[in-house]
Amino acid sequence: MKTLLIERLRKYASTLCLAVLSIAVTVSCSDYPIDEDGLLITSRADCYVSNFELLGTDYQTVRTRNPVIDTVACTIEVEVFFGTDLKNLYPQFSLVTDAKLEPKITGFVDFSDLNNPKSWTVVSGNRKVRKTYTVHVSVQQP
Amino acid sequence: MNALFNKLTLFIAIATLLTGCEDEPYQVPEAPGGLQNDVIKRSIGPNMVGEFIEFAYAMANKDVQLAEATVEASIPGAEGTWLEHRSYHTDGGGNDIGIPIGSPAVTTGNQTTVSFSTDTNAATLRYYYRVPEAARGQTVSFTFRATDRSGRTVSYDAGPYHVSRMDMALDLVVSDTESYISIEDMAIYSAEEAAAVPDKIDLVYLYRTIPNIAFGHAIVSPASDETYRPDVALPAGVNRSTKVQKAWNIRDRQLARLQFGVFVDDVDFQTLDLSNAPNYAVNLREEAGLWVETQDGRYRAYIFLNKLDNSVGNATISIKRYVL
Repeated sequence: MKTLLIERLRKYASTLCLAVLSIAVTVSCSDYPIDEDGLLITSRADCYVSNFELLGTDYQTVRTRNPVIDTVACTIEVEVFFGTDLKNLYPQFSLVTDAKLEPKITGFVDFSDLNNPKSWTVVSGNRKVRKTYTVHVSVQQP
Repeated sequence: MNALFNKLTLFIAIATLLTGCEDEPYQVPEAPGGLQNDVIKRSIGPNMVGEFIEFAYAMANKDVQLAEATVEASIPGAEGTWLEHRSYHTDGGGNDIGIPIGSPAVTTGNQTTVSFSTDTNAATLRYYYRVPEAARGQTVSFTFRATDRSGRTVSYDAGPYHVSRMDMALDLVVSDTESYISIEDMAIYSAEEAAAVPDKIDLVYLYRTIPNIAFGHAIVSPASDETYRPDVALPAGVNRSTKVQKAWNIRDRQLARLQFGVFVDDVDFQTLDLSNAPNYAVNLREEAGLWVETQDGRYRAYIFLNKLDNSVGNATISIKRYVL
């Protein structure tokens, strides 16, 4: 009689453990912090631009050389070929892991007003550090 | 006991494998009786006025020899439409070998006919339909018909096929002396010729080597800023501002005649938006292209740069044009 009771208890205990584990997994999965864009908010505080590209309407680079990225001054300096159509340029930022860019780049951007350079803000993975980068475009001159 | 079980399992597995791998006897398919026919369209891409739409028409009757093959087009083909009087097969070297099966085709109205004069039970004839001006923007259909010597007839309907509204001009050479491009005329003019038709000149070609900048080959509007057309003395009245946008990786097969399966079609021009495009393009590259819209908004075009020659400073271009 005692043996039977122990067997039953063991069976119920394993079922109970399984149920608790399932609930724990389900609850823990729904607790990951996600921002308004559906991106994970992580613990990373790094916040910088690692590379920058500028494409023309033919989706080919218009840079004459590598961009100069100053992560302290938060500036990007890029020289483009003579005759580049500055009204239709497609900027591409490479960011540190988990960071994101604001505002989002959804298409060609008008860089023709060289006196008023465009700016984008890099937001760190933990969404607590924000750095605004300014893109200075210059045109190759004869 | 365990060993016995393992042996039994292995035996069953091997037996299953052997049974599963057994070849089923192959039987050569029986050819259907009577007169048969089939058609494939060989040409691909947009069907353009002045160009060929090519078909291969196969017909066979294992019992009775063939008498006649006819193709009827819904719109009569232009001069040059013809049906092969040779039946082709491919030899071991990949060469098409044509065997004459009758006299050359006769075209009457919208029908092209070949009469068989040799004893032939099966043939594949090629049909080349040169798209006429009347078909521009229309659809065209074809009825392929074969008749055997017993008088039986079989037919195959192909299409309808849409005919593009585009025009095409290939391998126009632009240089310092022949530098004025007219989209309306799909032609290249010298400065003297351009002076006679200034309202038709949409673009100017130039090649320059300028220190410190990458200028090279350029196609610009007459109305573009002078910095983009250095040392170009425009003839009087040549002053149009044509929108130009660079393109890359659009090596249209009909313009480039390269291996790439890319085609610029009517829909590309219908959806093209050059409202924000500049009126010049410098530092051009071979095998690149330019989307163009004329100042009056009447024409859109795609200019493909077939060849750029830095040694003599000229370029070979090909144009597809769409009338809005």
